[in-house]
Amino acid sequence: MTALRRVVVVGGGIAGLTAADSLRASGFDGELTIVGAERRAAYSRPALSKALLRAEADLTAHELPPHEHGAVELLGVAATGLDPATRMVSLDDGGALPYDGLVIASGSRARRLGAADGEHVLRTLDDAIALRARIADRPSVIVVGGGPLGMEVASGALDAGCAVTLVTAGAPMARHLGAHLAARLERTALARGLTILRTPAARILPGAGASAVALADGTLVEGDLLVSGVGDIPNTGWLAGSGLDAAMRPDGAIAVDARARVRPEIVAAGDVAAVPTLGGHARSPIWHSAIDQARIAAVSLLRGDESPTLGGAPYFWTEQFGLTIRVVGRTPVDGEPELVDGDPEGAALLRWPHADGTATAAAVDYRIPIPRLRRLTDVAA
Amino acid sequence: MRFEIDRPRCEGHGLCEEAAPDLLHLDDDGEVVFDVAEFGDEALERAKAAVRVCPVAALRLAG
Repeated sequence: MTALRRVVVVGGGIAGLTAADSLRASGFDGELTIVGAERRAAYSRPALSKALLRAEADLTAHELPPHEHGAVELLGVAATGLDPATRMVSLDDGGALPYDGLVIASGSRARRLGAADGEHVLRTLDDAIALRARIADRPSVIVVGGGPLGMEVASGALDAGCAVTLVTAGAPMARHLGAHLAARLERTALARGLTILRTPAARILPGAGASAVALADGTLVEGDLLVSGVGDIPNTGWLAGSGLDAAMRPDGAIAVDARARVRPEIVAAGDVAAVPTLGGHARSPIWHSAIDQARIAAVSLLRGDESPTLGGAPYFWTEQFGLTIRVVGRTPVDGEPELVDGDPEGAALLRWPHADGTATAAAVDYRIPIPRLRRLTDVAA
Repeated sequence: MRFEIDRPRCEGHGLCEEAAPDLLHLDDDGEVVFDVAEFGDEALERAKAAVRVCPVAALRLAG
């Protein structure tokens, strides 16, 4: 393939940053431009709902080391369109960028329950700073959403001294981790004082100075502060009409091949990308996956089929209610695990073997480096 | 070049070991151990990848 002279990276988060770094590491010395909608250097998103919300927070927990890619960074500028025929990205400041290679790493935004001003979300660093300031006054907090984000926010608010009610459709974390780990987290959360309300559907009722949520049975839950953690939506609006429609998934994500490619000269990585899995294309909107995908995407742009393929088991971790859970392998996991080491009610190393010879391994409050946890996912080992 | 580690900040994920297994590892207590005190240009890209993948930015390059 012809040598690339100009690469545009749309997205200033960890996927965009890693793609830029990896392009340079792989020998790309042409023009490199990063377009980032936020006026912020890339930061560690996992820290926003964990370390940054803690009462005794290290307020630099989200900061990343300085980059060395030497790219032109257009921060506070969003891509508004793409024309793959002329290879141009248009921008909301009226500008346009020509490219030979394009990295789509435009991330995702928080899904919202409604349009109410009182609904807080936690997606960006600015969201986290605002939320941290609000919970410092110890308001009563309603969190809607029983996934990792909702539970981590609920944990942070409890830690700050707030009374917290979590409104969730099913058992918290069950859809993400499976019944066993979810039950451990729920017991711990309840013991710490979290109120959990289950409802098939929650609706926001805007109130005067307060926030209210109506449950499916009509029950009204009121609090001073409402935070929702109900998922995220890939930022692909700027690709509408670009001719990449065939690669667009119903959830708005863009489908890539095993080398993170949409086309030979267009790759995608991070929360915006749906990657091939055993069960079809799916997003893996977590830290380590964004980095893995971005690295492979960069090499694919430069070397095509010589690039390695995606495929490492994803690594997920959560910190909530004083428990840290790290998982390698597919989730959620059904049934009871093998106890590899530790105490089932304390620090535990657990494993769920699967029929295909792989396994899911989890460390609950058990300090183990990821390479060793990953080795446990190979049952034959 | 060499690594520097902010030990209080390190959470023991070990993603750095996965990125540069010849340069560092985590011991049984989850503490980072550097297997080489100094490394040259041939290891630089792996070292950078190890720094980048740390979700708490506990690892840095120096020298």
